[in-house]
Amino acid sequence: MSICDTTCSMTGQEQRLADGRGQSSPRARTNKALEIIRSGRPKLDIERAVLFTESMKQTEQYPLVLRWGKAIRYVMEHIGVVIQEGELLVGTVGGPGRISPLYPELRCGWFPKGMPATQQKDAYAVRTEDMEVFMEKVVPYWKGKTAHEHYLTLLPKETRDIIYGDDDYGATGLMQDNSNINSTLNWSGVFDKIIYKGVLALKAEAEQRLAELQNDLIHNHYDKIPFLQAVIECYEGMLIYARRYAEKARELAAEEQDPVRRKELETIASNCEHVPACPARNFWEAMQAHWFAQVAYRVEQQISGGVALHRFDQYMNPIYVKDLKEGNLTEDFALELLEAMWLKIAQVVPFSATNAGNYWEGYAHFENCTIGGVDKYGRDATNEMTYLVIRSKKEFPLHYPEVSLRVHSGTPHELLHAAAELVKEGCGFPKFFNDEAIITQLLVNGASIDQARDYSAAGCTEIRMPNIDTYLPLGGNINLAAALEMALNDGKAHFGPKYEKLMTPSVARKDIRSYEDIVSNLRECIDFYVRHFMKRMSALELTNKQCLAAPFMSSQSDVCMKNLMDIHQCLIPGGNHHDTGNVNFNGFGTCSESLCAIKKLVYDDKVLSLDELLGAVNNDFEGQEPLRQLVLNAPKYGNNDPYADNIARNLDAMIMTIVHGYESVFGEKYVKYVPVTSHVGLGNKTWATPNGRHAHTFLSEGISPTQGADINGPLSTMVSIANSTSRVYPNSCARLLNLKLNPQVVSGEKGTTDLMNLIRNFVDLKLWHVQIGIYNKDVLLKAREHPEDYKNLIVRVAGYSAYFVELSPSMQGEIIARTEHEMM
Amino acid sequence: MESTGNKGRIFNIQKFSVHDGPGVRDTVFMKGCPLRCLWCSNPESQSPQPQIGWREKKCIGCGVCLKSCPSGALSRGQDGRIERDNKKCTLCMQCVKRCYAKAMHVYGEALDVDELYARIRNQPLAWRSDGGVTVSGGEPLMQAEFVAALLSKFRRYAIHTAIETSLFAAWEKVALVAAQCSLIYADMKFFSAEKHKKYTGVDNALIKENLLRLKKGFPSVELIVRTPVIPGINDDEEELNNIADFLKQVPGLNDYELLPFHSFGAPKYEQLGIEYAVKDLKAQDKEEILLLNNELRYRIGLPIPN
Repeated sequence: MSICDTTCSMTGQEQRLADGRGQSSPRARTNKALEIIRSGRPKLDIERAVLFTESMKQTEQYPLVLRWGKAIRYVMEHIGVVIQEGELLVGTVGGPGRISPLYPELRCGWFPKGMPATQQKDAYAVRTEDMEVFMEKVVPYWKGKTAHEHYLTLLPKETRDIIYGDDDYGATGLMQDNSNINSTLNWSGVFDKIIYKGVLALKAEAEQRLAELQNDLIHNHYDKIPFLQAVIECYEGMLIYARRYAEKARELAAEEQDPVRRKELETIASNCEHVPACPARNFWEAMQAHWFAQVAYRVEQQISGGVALHRFDQYMNPIYVKDLKEGNLTEDFALELLEAMWLKIAQVVPFSATNAGNYWEGYAHFENCTIGGVDKYGRDATNEMTYLVIRSKKEFPLHYPEVSLRVHSGTPHELLHAAAELVKEGCGFPKFFNDEAIITQLLVNGASIDQARDYSAAGCTEIRMPNIDTYLPLGGNINLAAALEMALNDGKAHFGPKYEKLMTPSVARKDIRSYEDIVSNLRECIDFYVRHFMKRMSALELTNKQCLAAPFMSSQSDVCMKNLMDIHQCLIPGGNHHDTGNVNFNGFGTCSESLCAIKKLVYDDKVLSLDELLGAVNNDFEGQEPLRQLVLNAPKYGNNDPYADNIARNLDAMIMTIVHGYESVFGEKYVKYVPVTSHVGLGNKTWATPNGRHAHTFLSEGISPTQGADINGPLSTMVSIANSTSRVYPNSCARLLNLKLNPQVVSGEKGTTDLMNLIRNFVDLKLWHVQIGIYNKDVLLKAREHPEDYKNLIVRVAGYSAYFVELSPSMQGEIIARTEHEMM
Repeated sequence: MESTGNKGRIFNIQKFSVHDGPGVRDTVFMKGCPLRCLWCSNPESQSPQPQIGWREKKCIGCGVCLKSCPSGALSRGQDGRIERDNKKCTLCMQCVKRCYAKAMHVYGEALDVDELYARIRNQPLAWRSDGGVTVSGGEPLMQAEFVAALLSKFRRYAIHTAIETSLFAAWEKVALVAAQCSLIYADMKFFSAEKHKKYTGVDNALIKENLLRLKKGFPSVELIVRTPVIPGINDDEEELNNIADFLKQVPGLNDYELLPFHSFGAPKYEQLGIEYAVKDLKAQDKEEILLLNNELRYRIGLPIPN
């Protein structure tokens, strides 16, 4: 396959595609497993749902948290034990292969209506007999009991209409809503306790505290008893589960003909006999204990984007180095074990029970493996494992998990070099999180310095402090382009086929005389959405607390164990109750460019009247191409042009200020600019905008300028983003920045150095996050045309990577349109 | 020609330029060149006067340029292309000002040193770790006073400065600019005077003389000589070996680079409505050029980079 002619440079990934290596690893075992994963669509797996429901049916008289603990134990006692060919790490949340477990407690009401359409779309493999069992054993029980049904009852009618239109299980309205699609926001698991203390010791601690409480009639902690009982149930479930795996491995070993594999199975059996019950004795056991903990997180609930690995290099390094030193482990086998875990992660694909397409594309899950950063004293924390993870991604560029590299002013040259070399592979790894911006932000919001320094990435660009964070309810997306349409149009907005008046801004369309009039209308329209958003947020906070529990997740959290409270209760003393950026604004670039075009052309240069401009927008610029070109060529945010960047900063300040003015039940809410893929979904339903964007096309992405609008190189883009960050209140987090570079820009050793400098500048500008995709546009165009030849092409979507061919055509178009900073 | 006074005429500023010197740079392209290389990849750089280009891909065919032209220099060709009669065009720029889609584009803005400095310095981050400013062209030495004044402003703050030049200029001009440079990229396109005259339009005696003299006057300037390798024109063994043998005599030469031919300039010929003489030439294999480059470095006695 010829990818490009002699004048172009290929990335490592493009080279891999060209010579047929695809994603393969140097290790045969890994490749075999990869083949199985890639050979089919993910299967919907009902096992967890059926068992969970069976248990819930039997426990209605108990407190919710204890019911959850009993259900976890029940699932772990009864779920099938699956050891797949050649596996080194064992344990699944259902059948073999790539599966999607179901979580009926969230949106079970969706299935009867939504399932048939899903079966037709063939993104997932659905066995008819499984669905029959599901409809008979699961669906009836949950009627009226799910989190989503509870939520809907608390939602005011107007808010409900704006979000859902006439479909309570979609999000076909003007706001995109993630309520109950997952049980919680992105989460970073805590693993060091299971690995280094072991479940038996943790369980003993819980039992001890339970005994103390039961005999303490003075302090009235009786309410904490069911919580501790639930934690103990979870631990017992894990012990039983591991024992079942040990037995199965022994059985298989006895039957195994191949002596090498027999030895492996015997070791697996002995690993499962020892962990997670006791502290891991070596790296392999530690990895097995880690995976068992991940299984428990997944049995318990559906975490948005999967279970992040927290600071993997920090807690895995001691046992890795010890094993290496003692000669029990080779680097190569350690890499094989890492690959085994990455494959395990890739096998569990989330399923979203929603009719809203386009929101989570390419089987989005983005378990973050965070590496690098500073330690609790602020010293650089890079270690051997940091480099091993980078090497693993280079040798085996599977897109699970995400590798998130924390960078700071003291990040060592060697690490940055290794990271730049990995970026040049072109798969979008690693993404960069900036300690200089994030730690400061966490401190301002009340974390202690050592807590802040221990943050990790979870989700696209969000971050977590898993030992003190307690906020879980999901957010949604506000469409800035729709707010702008209303501001200019007497409160009327198009949405898909609909066109409605939603509110009345102060300055009527015919009375608009100045740019300031438009800005003041826009403030009211954004405010309108934010108010509805706060109502939905309160409804969700109240009902999630009432309908969901997570005793296992809580048992690994310092703050929950200190207070003996379930994490879904959120307002736990000593905890960090802030969300990770739930008020998610889409179309920031679209909106600020539109404002810029209006200010410049209508009010400053007076080359157009507002009537002319809006007339053209209302006709989707039909027959008005000259005018459209005029607005397309107006100053654009993202080019280090102070005129445009000031407008963007004022818009950012306006958004922060509005959101700062409200609180939901769990307190103040935070702003982020992280669309996942909703800017494509919302954009498809949104009318034309005054920046020259046609109706029903994607909005700008994250904090990035409109795709193709930033034409002065990546440094200008970054400076613009820094200049347009208002920081009026500390309620802003998670700003997604996607840069796309042509491989020639970064070719050779000089390219690596330039890339390192780009990242140093990112650190100094105190931007939040950046990810750098490196592709030849031609390759993407060819992949769109011949998907069969490009099955392995990985691209950056939002804060995650996905197979290009598994994205929708409109998402593929959006990625192609992102500005490619070419060789100059 | 419009008088530029003490302004310089440029046709582009490239941000995030990574192939014109160390680090990440801003590259300024000066307009006007005394050479007419057959393969020139920047045809808009040749004339010292402003020129109007028409970008077919951007044009929406609205015809506003035709209506706006006061001297009737523009017409629509049979294939819908906008054609310009350069004899009638007075460079009044009405078509450029009125074009909605920015398909009409002027090459050759006149700026004074402070204006140009301000445009470059709004992105100072690029100057870190060896990044800096490169003046290219066109021929920077055709506007030597301006270029020297511009570069001196950067030198004052120890920012790395470079030029890309043919060295086809009087020694006084070379000296004036070289005094402000950290690095000079000088082209040596041919050893043969005859071929040089044939393919670039000028004799190369002055170039050779300047090359031999440069490091004597400016020992601390880094000097890198480059040869664009044009298939069938200067890529024969004899020509390249002659160049290399000449370069042995150049005192203090820091490096010698071969630049593979590319046809990235082709669209610009179209925009300007000029025939591109070498449009059928194929680019060479980059790896081969690299190997050849190292052989020639060896012949000259230069170190081979890793």
